[in-house]
Amino acid sequence: MTAAALSSPLRLRSKPYLVPAGRIALGIAIVALWQIGTGVMGRDFLPSPWDTLARIGSLARSGELFRDAAITFGEAAAGMLLGGAAGAILPFLLRLSPRLMRALDPLISAGFGLPKLALAPLFILWFGIGITTKVVFVASIVFFLMFYNGLAGVLSVDPRLIATFRVAGAGEWVINREIVWNTAKPFLFSGLKIALPRALSGAVVGEFIAADQGLGWYIEHARSLNDTTGVLAGAVIVTVLVMAVNAGLRRVQARSLAWRPLAADMTL
Amino acid sequence: MTSALPMLQVRRLAKRFPPRAGAESPWILADLSFHVCEREFLTMVGPSGAGKSTLLNIIAQVDGASDGEILFRGEAIGSANGRTLNPGWDCQIGYVTQDDNLLPWRTLIDNVTLPLKLQGRYDEAAKKRVVELFCATNLTGFERYYPHELSGGMRKRGSLIRTLAYDPPIILMDEPFSAVDAQTRTQLQQDLLRLWNLGRKTIVFVTHDIAEAIALGDRVLVLSKSPAKVIADHRIDISRPRDLGNVYKLEGFGDIFERVRRDIQ
Amino acid sequence: MKLRTFFDRLIVLLLVIVGWELCSLYFGTIWFSSPWRVLRRLIEEIQNGDLFYQGAYTLKAALYGSLLGGVPGLLLPFALRRHPLTNAILDPYFIGGYGVPKLALAPLFILWFGIDLAPKVALVASIVSFLVFFSTAAGVSAVNSQYVNAARVFGASERDIARHIVWPGAIPYAFAGFRIAAPYAIGAAVVGELISSNRGLGFLIVSGATDFDTTLVFVSLVTLTILVVIINLLVGRCERWLLRWRPPQQGPSLRVAGI
Repeated sequence: MTAAALSSPLRLRSKPYLVPAGRIALGIAIVALWQIGTGVMGRDFLPSPWDTLARIGSLARSGELFRDAAITFGEAAAGMLLGGAAGAILPFLLRLSPRLMRALDPLISAGFGLPKLALAPLFILWFGIGITTKVVFVASIVFFLMFYNGLAGVLSVDPRLIATFRVAGAGEWVINREIVWNTAKPFLFSGLKIALPRALSGAVVGEFIAADQGLGWYIEHARSLNDTTGVLAGAVIVTVLVMAVNAGLRRVQARSLAWRPLAADMTL
Repeated sequence: MTSALPMLQVRRLAKRFPPRAGAESPWILADLSFHVCEREFLTMVGPSGAGKSTLLNIIAQVDGASDGEILFRGEAIGSANGRTLNPGWDCQIGYVTQDDNLLPWRTLIDNVTLPLKLQGRYDEAAKKRVVELFCATNLTGFERYYPHELSGGMRKRGSLIRTLAYDPPIILMDEPFSAVDAQTRTQLQQDLLRLWNLGRKTIVFVTHDIAEAIALGDRVLVLSKSPAKVIADHRIDISRPRDLGNVYKLEGFGDIFERVRRDIQ
Repeated sequence: MKLRTFFDRLIVLLLVIVGWELCSLYFGTIWFSSPWRVLRRLIEEIQNGDLFYQGAYTLKAALYGSLLGGVPGLLLPFALRRHPLTNAILDPYFIGGYGVPKLALAPLFILWFGIDLAPKVALVASIVSFLVFFSTAAGVSAVNSQYVNAARVFGASERDIARHIVWPGAIPYAFAGFRIAAPYAIGAAVVGELISSNRGLGFLIVSGATDFDTTLVFVSLVTLTILVVIINLLVGRCERWLLRWRPPQQGPSLRVAGI
C-alpha cells in the first residue's frame, strides 16, 4: 500500500475520475466482447449476455430459481451449522489436553491432505441422492476448514497473557472465554470467510454429481441437454449468491473485530 | 518504617528446568534466599540472563520451584514440587511483567478494570480509585483507546495501574521499563515512585540497570550470574522524595553505584 | 519425539484401524471396506499399474492447469507494478473473479472443452491463477519501498529494481501462492473427473461407487491423500531451498487461511 502510494504517478492523483471511468469502460468492453464472442462462436457455444439474463429472468418468474436456490442454500446452511460448530469447538477441547493434541497430530495432518470434494461419491453411496448427502458433504468440508483455522487460533494464544491473568485471579473458565476465545476469534472468522462460500459451492458440487433438485442439479441437467444458456445462467446465479454471502460476511467481521489494528489478514 | 515480620521470605530457592533431550538442564537459581519487609521498595540487580524473571515467575507462582520455600506473611506458599500452583496466591501477589500484556481486544479502561471485575470487587470505591490512577498517570482521556493506539510508555503505565487498581499487598515488577526510551523511562520511574508513595505498597523490582535499582529502591540486592543467588545487600539511604531527573547528583549515589558495580563484576 | 508421544500415536493409529474394522464389520464390506481389503487392493492396484495410470492422469491435469493459470498469475503483478492506473481499474474485476465459485463452472468447461483433459486443465487454471495472482501481488506491494529508494539512489534502473529487488522480495509470496494452490489443483482436477471423465482418480472413485466397490473408493481416496501430502512436502522443501537466505518465520504466513 505504502509502496504503491509513494510511486503512484501524479496522473492518478490529479485526475481521480480516470479510475471509475476506466472501470466502467472495462465493464462495457467485457460485455461487448462477450456479445462479439457469441457472434463468432455461435449461440450454442456461448449464449449472449442478453440470452443469459433473459433465462435468469424466466427462471425467477417461474419460481424455479427460488425453489432451487432455497434447496442449495438449505443444504449449505445445515452443513455449515453441523460441520462448522463441530470444527470450531473441537480445537478448544483439544487445548485442554496437549498430550491428546500431540497424539492426534499425524491424523490431523492426514485429514489436511484428504481432498474433501472427492468424498462426494462415497456419501452418495451411503446416503443416497437426497438432501442428507449434501448436508453431510458440506459439513465435512466446513468441519475441516473451521477446525484447522480454530486450531491455529488456539495454538497462537500468548502464554504470557494467560500467566498475567492467572496472577490477577482469572480461573480456567475466564481464561478460555476471555483470552483463548478472543485470540481465536479472528482465526475462526477467516475460517468462516473461507467456509461460507465453500459451503455453497460444496452443495452445488454435490448436486452436480447426483441430485434431483437444487442449483447444481439445474446446471448439470442443462449440461446434459447441451443447454449452454441454462449452464451459464445457473453459474451466474451461483456466483451472485456467493458474492452476496461474502459481502455480508465482510460487514459482520468489520464490526466484530474493531479492536484490530489493521485488516491484516489476507483473504486467500 | 518496617514491621518486625517480613512480608515475604524466600528460603534456599533452587530451580532448574526439566531435562531436555536426555541431558540435565543447568541450575537457574541455586540456594537463593532473601526477604522483603512490609512497605519496603526492594530492588534486585543482576546481569542479563541471571534468572531474574524465573525468580519472579516462581514467587508469583506462574512457575514452580525445584527446591526451597517461599513464605508470605509467615505462611508457606508454593514449596518445592508442589504440583498445584496458585498464580498470584489469591490475588495477594501482583505481577507487572516486562511486556505490558494488555489484551489487544479490550480498551485501556476495560483492561485496567478486568482484574477487579474478575475478583468481583468493581464497586464504587474501586471505580474511584481507577479514576485516580488514570489521573495520576496522565492517562485520563485515553480510557476508550485500544492498546495498539497508545504509545509504549502509555501501555506501560496502563499495565502498571492494572495491577495497582486491584491493590495486591505486594507487587513484583520484572524490568517493566526496559523497553522504553530513556526520557519516558525517567518519567515512568517518577510516576511509579509517586504511586508507591501514595499507597506504600511492598514492591520487589527487578532490573539489570544499576542506576535504576539505586534510584528507586530502599534496598538493593545484587544477584550473581547464573545460577543466581544473592551476593550483596545494600541499604540505600538517599532521602525521599528523590529527583530522578538528576539521579547521579543525589547524595551518596556515586558511592553506592561503584560498590554495586564491583559486586556484579 | 518423546517415547510417550510415539506410543500415544501408535495407540491412535490402532484405534483408527480397529474402529474402521468394526465399522466394516457392522455395515458390511459393500458399504464400508475393511482396512485389510484396502491395503491388499492398494498393493494389487500398484502392481498392475492401474493406480499409476489413473494417478498420472489426475496429476497431469493438476500440473498443466497450475502452469497455465500460475504463470500468468505470477507475472501479472510484476507487469502491473509500474501501471497503477491499469491496476486500479482492473482491481475490482480481479476481486470479483476471485470470488467466482470456479467449481460451479465445471459443467460449463465440460460443455466447452469436451470430457478429456482440457476441461480439467481449464478448471484447475481458473482456480490457481487467482490464488497465485493475489499472493504475488501482496508480495510485490509489500516490497520495502526503502530498498527501492536506496537502489534508485545507487542509480539502479527500473529494470534493475525489478530484477534485483522486487523479484526476490515477492518470490516468497508467489511461492506461498503455489503452495496454497497445490491441494486445490488436485481437488479441482478430481472434481472435473467426478462430473465427467473416463480416466483419473476421480473417475476411479465414481466407478467404485457405482459398482458398490467401496474398496476401490477407499483405495483412491487414500492415494489422493498420499498424493497431496507428498506434493505439500515437495513444494515446502522447494520453497525452503529457494529461500534459504531468509531467516525463518519471516515470510508471508498465509498457511492458516488457505486450506
